[in-house]
Amino acid sequence: MIRRGFQVAARLGHHRRLLGAPRILPRLNPASAFGSSTDSMFSRFLPEKTELKDDALPNASWCLDMLCLYQEFLEKTKSSGWIKLPSFKSNGDHIGLNPPSGLAVSSDKGDCRIFTRCIQVEGQGFEYVIFFQPSKKKSVCLFQPGPYLEGPPGFTHSGSLAAMMDETFSKTAFLAGEGVFTLSFNIRFKNLIPMSSLVVMDIEVGKIEDQKLYMSCITHSRDQQTVYTNSSGVFLQLQLEEESPQ
Amino acid sequence: MLRSCAARLRTLGALRGPPGGRRLPGREPRPALRSFSSEEVILKDYSVPNPSWNKDLRLLFDQFMKKCEDGSWKRLPSYKRIPAEKIQDFKTHLLDPKLVKEEQMSQTQLFTRSFDDGLGFEYVMFYSDVEKRMVCLFQGGPYLEGPPGFVHGGAIATIIDSTVGMCALMAGGVVVTANLNINYKRPIPLCSVVMINSQLDKVEGRKFFVSCNVQSVDEQTLYSEATSIFIKLNPAKSLT
Repeated sequence: MIRRGFQVAARLGHHRRLLGAPRILPRLNPASAFGSSTDSMFSRFLPEKTELKDDALPNASWCLDMLCLYQEFLEKTKSSGWIKLPSFKSNGDHIGLNPPSGLAVSSDKGDCRIFTRCIQVEGQGFEYVIFFQPSKKKSVCLFQPGPYLEGPPGFTHSGSLAAMMDETFSKTAFLAGEGVFTLSFNIRFKNLIPMSSLVVMDIEVGKIEDQKLYMSCITHSRDQQTVYTNSSGVFLQLQLEEESPQ
Repeated sequence: MLRSCAARLRTLGALRGPPGGRRLPGREPRPALRSFSSEEVILKDYSVPNPSWNKDLRLLFDQFMKKCEDGSWKRLPSYKRIPAEKIQDFKTHLLDPKLVKEEQMSQTQLFTRSFDDGLGFEYVMFYSDVEKRMVCLFQGGPYLEGPPGFVHGGAIATIIDSTVGMCALMAGGVVVTANLNINYKRPIPLCSVVMINSQLDKVEGRKFFVSCNVQSVDEQTLYSEATSIFIKLNPAKSLT
């Protein structure tokens, strides 16, 4: 158990001194997805060459709706400044950065997995891909819940939906403004989601102030006729540290 | 407020089997990609200690089992799948049964029980009818990671949702989640044990208000707080 806990006030104070106020993040050139070469956050998050397996790619379990929308967004990555986010088995693979010292836990747990890639059997758990548009700070997640995510018989567990939302919020918050930890999360459920159907999540970053990122999300069917949830999330900005040699 | 064409129900808590469940010998097969007797999967009760449970979880489990001795508390069994008769019960409340695809139902598993021992959600729930309290003892395994070394916010949301959902269901029968609101105070380290204490706060007509907090074993650290609203449905009736 971490005795120190999570001393937000102290941490925020420390970071304000480091970052100056107001916090200005490197601006991305809308014309190019990656911005300047000094934008190390993006280049670290989206390695150009890697041997890690990217789970956010089509496989045989993807339904037709998902494949179609995937193609549409793939086109947008060529023309409209969208980026497809890779998805690796562990967050450590993405970032290679640690929470600030004092918070980090030594992980001798061996094989850790990011929650939304916990079930690696194709089609059984979370099938998803996230696209991010840096210029508008928007993202879209195409999500197909598999049979191991059941809640009410034949329908998706609301917890798994919350998990997918939190994960998309988390990646969006990180890329839009170094958001790291969820502070709060509010979900209004409108409709049940049948197993193995496509869910589209539209996420927008609203304001960023006081080291907090405010985001909203609507999840709906492909034809937008059915709204599944309305939700909002607030994330804490934290500067991550370089990984120390183990 | 919900005005949906498909009712949203929570039947997770409708799994009332005999305490302890009926155990079948041997390990059960893992993914349901081939057909096998669905009875084997349904009957194993997962809310009992297994080798992955750490000391804190076992201690708490024993404390709560003691509370069950006089009948004021009871331990809820927990299965991977819902028995056939409960599925029928769910369908009578559902307005559009066509949405439920029969052939898929034999392959499904309750999300929080879709992991091998110790890797995902290790948990047990205890209920007090007098106090209208549902307590969940939870140990989050390495497949629930979010920020390196900590439990994913979505995994926390999942176990909170399961706990408050059960609490509402015990009080109200077939209920629908309308709203879930979570405040995260501190991140939860992976493989540590926390207690989710949920309470039915009030009932207004068909609305059930349930709140909870997530604390450390010694109750000294508050990790998160949540509030939720559930709505009781009438069988096969629209919400409007």
